[in-house]
Amino acid sequence: MIITILALFSCAVQGVTLDQLQQRFSLQPVVRADFTQSRAIAGMAKPLVSSGQLLIARDKGLWWHQARPFALTLLLDDKRMVQVMNNQPPQIVTAESNPQMFQFNHLLRALFQADRQVLEQNFTTDFTDLGKQGWRLVLTPKTSPLDKLFHTITLSGRDYLEGIELNDRQGDLTTITLSNQRLTPRTLTDDEQQRFVF
Amino acid sequence: MTNSSASYSDWHRRGAVAWGIICIALLVAAALLLPRAQINSSVLALLPKQSMGDIPPALQQGFMRRLDRQMVWLVSPGANGDSAVAAWWLHRLRALPLLQNLAGPVDEAQQQSWGKFAFEHRNGLVDGATRARLAQGGSAQADWVLAQLYSAFAGVSGRELHGDPLLLVRGAQLAMQGNAGGLGLSQGWLTVRDAQGRVWYFLHGELGGDSFDMAQGRQLVADLDQLKTELKTRFPGAQVLTRGTVLFSDYASQQARHDVSRLGPATLGGVLLLVFALFRSPRPLWLCGLSVGIGALAGTVVTLWLFGELHLMTLVMSLSIVGISADYTLYYLTERMVHGGSAPPLESLRKVLPALLPALATAAAAYLIMALAPFPGLQQLAVFAAAGLTASCLTVVCWYPYLVRGLPVRPLPAMVLMARWLAAWRRNPWVRFGLPLAVAVFSLAGGARLKINDDISQLQTMPAGLLQQERQITALTGQSADQTWFVVYGDSPEQTLQRLEGLVPRLAQARQEGWLKSWHSLPLSSLAQQQRDAQLIAAAAPAVIQGLRQAGADVADADVRPMPVTPAVWLGSPLSEGWRLLWLSLPSGESGVLVPVSGAVQGKALSSLADSLPGVAWIDRKSAFDELFGFYRVMLGWLLAAAVAVIALSYIARLGPRRGLISIVPSLLSLGSGLAALALSGHPLNLFSLLALLLVLGIGINYTLFFSNPRGTAMTSLLAVTMAMCTTLLTLGMLVFSSTQAISSFGIVLCSGIFTAFLLAPLVVPDSKG
Repeated sequence: MIITILALFSCAVQGVTLDQLQQRFSLQPVVRADFTQSRAIAGMAKPLVSSGQLLIARDKGLWWHQARPFALTLLLDDKRMVQVMNNQPPQIVTAESNPQMFQFNHLLRALFQADRQVLEQNFTTDFTDLGKQGWRLVLTPKTSPLDKLFHTITLSGRDYLEGIELNDRQGDLTTITLSNQRLTPRTLTDDEQQRFVF
Repeated sequence: MTNSSASYSDWHRRGAVAWGIICIALLVAAALLLPRAQINSSVLALLPKQSMGDIPPALQQGFMRRLDRQMVWLVSPGANGDSAVAAWWLHRLRALPLLQNLAGPVDEAQQQSWGKFAFEHRNGLVDGATRARLAQGGSAQADWVLAQLYSAFAGVSGRELHGDPLLLVRGAQLAMQGNAGGLGLSQGWLTVRDAQGRVWYFLHGELGGDSFDMAQGRQLVADLDQLKTELKTRFPGAQVLTRGTVLFSDYASQQARHDVSRLGPATLGGVLLLVFALFRSPRPLWLCGLSVGIGALAGTVVTLWLFGELHLMTLVMSLSIVGISADYTLYYLTERMVHGGSAPPLESLRKVLPALLPALATAAAAYLIMALAPFPGLQQLAVFAAAGLTASCLTVVCWYPYLVRGLPVRPLPAMVLMARWLAAWRRNPWVRFGLPLAVAVFSLAGGARLKINDDISQLQTMPAGLLQQERQITALTGQSADQTWFVVYGDSPEQTLQRLEGLVPRLAQARQEGWLKSWHSLPLSSLAQQQRDAQLIAAAAPAVIQGLRQAGADVADADVRPMPVTPAVWLGSPLSEGWRLLWLSLPSGESGVLVPVSGAVQGKALSSLADSLPGVAWIDRKSAFDELFGFYRVMLGWLLAAAVAVIALSYIARLGPRRGLISIVPSLLSLGSGLAALALSGHPLNLFSLLALLLVLGIGINYTLFFSNPRGTAMTSLLAVTMAMCTTLLTLGMLVFSSTQAISSFGIVLCSGIFTAFLLAPLVVPDSKG
């Protein structure tokens, strides 16, 4: 689901207010990027590092493909969440079978459409202009179950979203770094279309 | 007076005394029975009891009682989604003495005890998906654990991984979530969001006490209505939806009560007015009242004695019996009014008896045929009617020759009109042939449009408001009120769970076939399955631990000891919250579990699926009842045909082929026009219409018998039949205005059928008489 957040903010940013930032979210039909994720879990000596690629298509959904240390593909759209591992059959969760997960999904989609109202319904927002086109948005959850899971979610970037930091309630920290963002072609290739077919 | 008439009068005096003693006995019995009598208003009580197959009866009753006691509320606070409104509603519900076990939000402590139990029994509570992964030898489970661990949003902590490296608790929890229908947990409350984004809070509870009677149901519904009003004033914009059998029962009983209080006085008033208009004397009024009253007394006593209760619906339908039992009095009084001057009362009785007794016999037989249908409400009605009619006829026969002494003799009213009517039947071919022909054409035209519908819901006209709430709740929660289940049962809890495990894979198959949409199966394994799971865990654990260590997670070895969970332990744990309703164990150990099914479309296939497994039954209450309705409709159809044939044969035997066949014509046409009126008024044919036809035949025959009574005269017969028809139409006609469709269509068939029987009855007048 994190990918949705990425999607939201993977846009060129010229302004330095939240409004201006959001105004441009909807202008990008397709965003592609590489990611590196590091999860530091309390009680574990080393952080767990993974990396891969992601793709966000506004009218299709979200494709998150972890390549290392093992292959894992996640797909998220209006109706389904699909997880594929190794050569196992895909696990499909639908909105009907697990609405709780989808409540979260809907929230993130609202963000995607730059719905500031919904954002502020669920988070206390703290937007900071860092100068030189840089910005940081700290989201503090104020509704359940988000507040049970996270202390804060921090997003930062310049032209694109570049970093996400998830501060878990239980003291774990996850950092995701995005790089190599591409906005073209502006429509999905045939190959990319296939990723959403299950 | 001759010797024979003297002994006749002695015999009659003894009979009158005996009947007096019986009536006193009836009064005493009523005084004993009535205080303990129950008036039953549950619609379900009207339905046949044997609808659950081979399931042990104690389990059936236990489940039925439980299900009928459930109440569900969905509360929406409006725009802001604040849980305070739901908390207020819950608080007020808890204050209602008629409700119990109201479930509120889950607090921190409950969540912790939930987690503790799930953790301590994790090796015994393995879910299906985890089991499938474990069965692949550990690598699949290792992959899944790693995926959870690497996921930024799954939130697997070091502590969780350390205590439960196979993430068994998490797996079971996810499986439960997937099984929750439309509901999710928010701030401890079960909630659901509708299409407009409004939050609805889910609350449930049950009716208190063991028995739930009409008065309590009324009280509860009134209390809930008041709370609803209060909610709306206090929180404008808030909404509440309610579901519970009690709402429908209460509605039905209110409706029946309304019918009784509205139709009852109208009926009685009408009959009294008619009698008074004819006799212009108060005595026939109280004579009618006496015979009807004794009839009602006998009906009540015999019904209570046989069934131990009276159904409200029986009372409504018994209104119709009032009219028929008044017929006997009217027939005798008419005879006395005409011939009272010349013949002594006993002589008149002797004259009317040949018509009176067969009339009673056919009417009682027609009602008793109804007792063949296995519907407790109808059986009560049949017994009530047969006993009531017999008692009121005996009252007329035994007592009225003494009570009518001095009754004024009066010329027949509308004598000229009636004489012309009878003459027309004898001489005018337009009447003699044209009228029956016209009725026949009407019957055929209407009959061609007749539709059949065995839908049981016609028993009850559901109010739009309740149905609307029902639909909304189903849409929101995904929990339909379909009342379709599999019931799995066994001699012991363990056997029941093992049978359940045999059923589940077949259900998955059935879903693939499209026979059903979803089901909810108890998330508890049999001890045998738990043992197999423990072996799987022990075998797969090393591979999982190894996979985790390779990925860089330092984890301890998994605890692979068996952690058995028995049904008793599980039911006592917080884990079974929301599931307990579906499990029932009797002291003998016999246990049953309900598997609610929604979206079932292939009832036949599901039923044969159940038949192929031991201890599994497919229950679809509504369609089972619909089928029964259909079955008994067809059966009654044949009975009716058989009755017509028997009557025709007896006519032919008595009157010869020509007159015999003519005599059956009024009966046949009265049946036909009853059906035609039903079709033309837009009602479908069902079991109730058939029952009405049975009565049309039974009562219609009376008219024919009155006319063909060789000791009677056509003129008095016509008057008596006219009176009888008027009182019957007054009483049964009222049923047309009942708000329950089944009762009103019953009324339509009866009224049109009986009117036709009256209209055509002079066809059988013998040419030589009059």
